[in-house]
Amino acid sequence: MRVLVQFRSSPAVHAATLRGEAMPSFAATAAEPIPGLVIDPAYNPVQVPTPQTDEPGASPYRYSPAVSFSMALEEATYLVRGTVPDDPDDQRAAVAEATARPEVVGVYSDPVISTCLVCPGDPAVGNDQDVATQLGVKALADAGMDGYRVPVAIVDTGINLAYLESKGRDPKFSRQRSWAPAGVATRPGQHPVGHGTMCAFDVGIAAPKATLLDHALLLSETPGETAMSGLLSDAVLSYSRLLEIIQAIPASRRSLVVNNSWGMFSPTWDFPVGHPGKYSDNPAHPFNVIVASLESAGADILFAAGNCGRDCPDSRCQFGTSRPICGANSHPSVLSVAGVDTRMRRVGYSSQGPGRIDPDKPDLSAYTHFTGSGVYPADGGTSAACPVATGVVAAVREKYPSSVLTPAELRALLFKTAQDLGGTGFDHDFGWGVIDGTALTASLAGVKRSSRSRARR
Amino acid sequence: MPRVMVTLRLAPEQASLAEVRDLLGLTPDEVDPAFGVVNISPAEHLYTILVDEAAAGRIADAEPVEGVYGNPRVEPFGPPEEDQSSP
Repeated sequence: MRVLVQFRSSPAVHAATLRGEAMPSFAATAAEPIPGLVIDPAYNPVQVPTPQTDEPGASPYRYSPAVSFSMALEEATYLVRGTVPDDPDDQRAAVAEATARPEVVGVYSDPVISTCLVCPGDPAVGNDQDVATQLGVKALADAGMDGYRVPVAIVDTGINLAYLESKGRDPKFSRQRSWAPAGVATRPGQHPVGHGTMCAFDVGIAAPKATLLDHALLLSETPGETAMSGLLSDAVLSYSRLLEIIQAIPASRRSLVVNNSWGMFSPTWDFPVGHPGKYSDNPAHPFNVIVASLESAGADILFAAGNCGRDCPDSRCQFGTSRPICGANSHPSVLSVAGVDTRMRRVGYSSQGPGRIDPDKPDLSAYTHFTGSGVYPADGGTSAACPVATGVVAAVREKYPSSVLTPAELRALLFKTAQDLGGTGFDHDFGWGVIDGTALTASLAGVKRSSRSRARR
Repeated sequence: MPRVMVTLRLAPEQASLAEVRDLLGLTPDEVDPAFGVVNISPAEHLYTILVDEAAAGRIADAEPVEGVYGNPRVEPFGPPEEDQSSP
């Protein structure tokens, strides 16, 4: 572990520092070498200004009232950089030995820091293998959970199966249960490679054996809109089909996981504030009603939180200071997914809560902005975080259908086992934390599995 | 003309385009036939249809109508626009 050691001056060190030379040796200051502490000779000692207060007995480290700083030799202290052992016992001994020396003021951590959060245009951080490792895919797979035969609907721009196969994925596919809006010329599973194919690839990180359903909502042929967009009425039709699909599955093995990496970038796309027919904050809107219906029928529905985070929003965002997590993305019956990179930091564009319908959004975080599908330089946006989480949910559903664990119960388990980041417990940046397949698998050990979970051939 | 969604509470036997048009006095070209009558909540017998905005204003107070709702556009959430060039 890297540390900074602050020590009191000696004439030799002070003279060397003034000449801009490397510290003669730590032995010049310390009477004897300190076991376990290794000083970095390449790091020139840095004098630390000594805070002083005029108030007798007051701590100068409260910095209030204002303090002055001394650089006088007789009061000078210096920082050097070094390491102590990683082993906790050895580390404790080395630090105790160092701080017991009269010449040492203190030993402090020297954590890795970096400049800023990942923003649009930044290079990828890690790859899909890193995501699999951090997600706990091995623990899920060791427990027999890789999504075998679990239907996962990718409600998006369409899937290209040949591309997925070229990237080493081999998902099952259900053409019969796929859907596209009227007028889409390409066939399910053969749509142009794009956003939906990225989502399908990322579901495969944790659920490579899931059965994909291609709902190409965002290939809508609506005139005058952007190349990849749809209308919410198309989403109603897609969900109506999904409702039929789940109702046709026997209750004892019912499961359907629905990935939605889409939403609105601007409140102006909706009715104005105060209109009773608004979508953004209205649970009575038909799409929000059918979302609740589908969840109550046993489907797990995941929505991306959005890419309008305060630090560096996507250039399409037009929410200003108003709440960007809106509509079904903020529905209480869905899992709203924020984005972190593989260093466990929130990506700066990940939308923050509160949500417009349910204020406690986002629900949790998953990994994004990594090299993965190859569709884009990075599988990025909360668009990628959402299918990463969808894959974990689909993996679990192989053994635990909704008759055993309702969607609400599974969400509660995901919250309980998430790796907490940010403030303690829930916060509006990360939700309950980062999804953790290892902890989730451990907690599922106490849940009775379905006696009719999917037998493999 | 923009179209909006209208939520209706119907008995199952009323859930057809012909029945709904009769019930609400809508002409065939005011209702989107491809959208049809979609069951959005089987438990609550709620359905939705897609109609011209002007027609929706006319039927807003009719008995089976629960509300008139927007049909906003939606888009994929990323990667952020700056990251969408080919690798």
